[in-house]
Amino acid sequence: MKKWSVILVVLVTIFGIAQLIRPKEISNRPLSDLKNVPKDVNDVLRSSCFDCHSSETNLKWFDRITPANFLVNGHVLAGRKALDFSGWDTLTTSQQNNILSYALNKILEGEMPLPSYSFIHRDSKLSPKDINLLKQFLLSRTPRKVSDTAQLQQSNISFEQLQQNKAKHIGKQVVFAPNGIAYISDYRNWHAISSSDRFDNGTMRIIFANDIAVKAIQNKQTNPWPDDAVFAKTAWKQQVNADGSVTTGAFVQVEFMIKDSHKYAKTKGWGWARWRGNDLQPYGKDALFTAECISCHQPVENNDFVFTQPLNLHSLIAQSK
Amino acid sequence: MKNKLFYIGLSFLIFVTSSCLSDHKIRLNDEVSVQASDDLPENPLLLHPITSSIQPKDSAMSTLYANDVAFDYASEHSDAHYPIGSELYEVTWKQQPDEQWFGANIPKKILQVERVSIGSDNASVYTLYSGRPLKSVNTDNHSDRIVHIVSQRMAMVP
Repeated sequence: MKKWSVILVVLVTIFGIAQLIRPKEISNRPLSDLKNVPKDVNDVLRSSCFDCHSSETNLKWFDRITPANFLVNGHVLAGRKALDFSGWDTLTTSQQNNILSYALNKILEGEMPLPSYSFIHRDSKLSPKDINLLKQFLLSRTPRKVSDTAQLQQSNISFEQLQQNKAKHIGKQVVFAPNGIAYISDYRNWHAISSSDRFDNGTMRIIFANDIAVKAIQNKQTNPWPDDAVFAKTAWKQQVNADGSVTTGAFVQVEFMIKDSHKYAKTKGWGWARWRGNDLQPYGKDALFTAECISCHQPVENNDFVFTQPLNLHSLIAQSK
Repeated sequence: MKNKLFYIGLSFLIFVTSSCLSDHKIRLNDEVSVQASDDLPENPLLLHPITSSIQPKDSAMSTLYANDVAFDYASEHSDAHYPIGSELYEVTWKQQPDEQWFGANIPKKILQVERVSIGSDNASVYTLYSGRPLKSVNTDNHSDRIVHIVSQRMAMVP
């Protein structure tokens, strides 16, 4: 009995001394409701997202106990860096929609709120009703509106620029991505393996694949994809015509995934790169931008980090007459 | 007893192996692809994509494919005067919500394939393939569809 008492006293003493070691205090600046967002949606975001994704972080008493405070502080700092609702009012509608869409999809994937966080903070969990509320709100913000004159003009200018400059771009040095990946200029001649209608951000995409990737499809060897398989997900703005149909508008960006299980072992076996705009500006401040790519593709880890479910091109070759 | 242990071990191994395999399935979208039984003269999905479009009213999306002749022409021109030997295929799919991304739609199944060939007399020949498997069907008034197909300009990239 005496032995257990000594152990208990020692543990309590260690626990007490540990409370003197604390991480830097997390700032807590109250955040007003997000503008142009209904009260019920604001309430859901506040209770489930704001603690880690805004300047307003309401820590519970148990969050402040060492060693839990180190864990919670890490969550909050990483959370604010990944997505911060504090700057909501300074964002364009399109940027706001991107944030909402990203947040909602992370919730649907079960990645957010972090299970380790919601296990303790039960009120951060979203009910099916909360999720449906966010879905309906996002849909209400992304209606297809007929493109106005300015948008049509922008689309025409983009088209003419690209058609006229096409020859000049051949051999032109495009700035490397921050992780050292060089732009691949001939992807427009590759095969399409699928397309998507991203009505949430008003873009439409064709996913191109090089010959190695197409051969992998034909040989049904796509999980994992072979080394040197490359995808180019290309996005254009949606141009909504008067009859309601939607056609490709101005070029937005191209995103590459380049498979090399050895060279890119540290980034899940893929080289990630994105160039935006007609002047092909590389995306990302430094090589760490790939963390963003991997985080987004993490839910499809079992599909070798590839979202696209490709067209079955194999049977088509045999069928050629 | 040894045999029993062997079979238990073997069953466990098969279970573990099959679990691993099922986590890494080969995912090819057969439903959205042309089948060997379809009555098409060639494989349009292996041609060059010119552009894509969406018809929200019909919950449908299309991709316009072209052979080399037509693709080269569309790369340099935005008029509808495709040269002799051009083959264009407009493949239209029913859309479905993307289960992996709320806010996106992807192809679900092929609704129809329309083919426009520019013959030696410079005339456009239109053929519509529909049904499952895809079979050519007679159409009376299709001049508007030819205009629609040949007048789509290319989705350009830098």
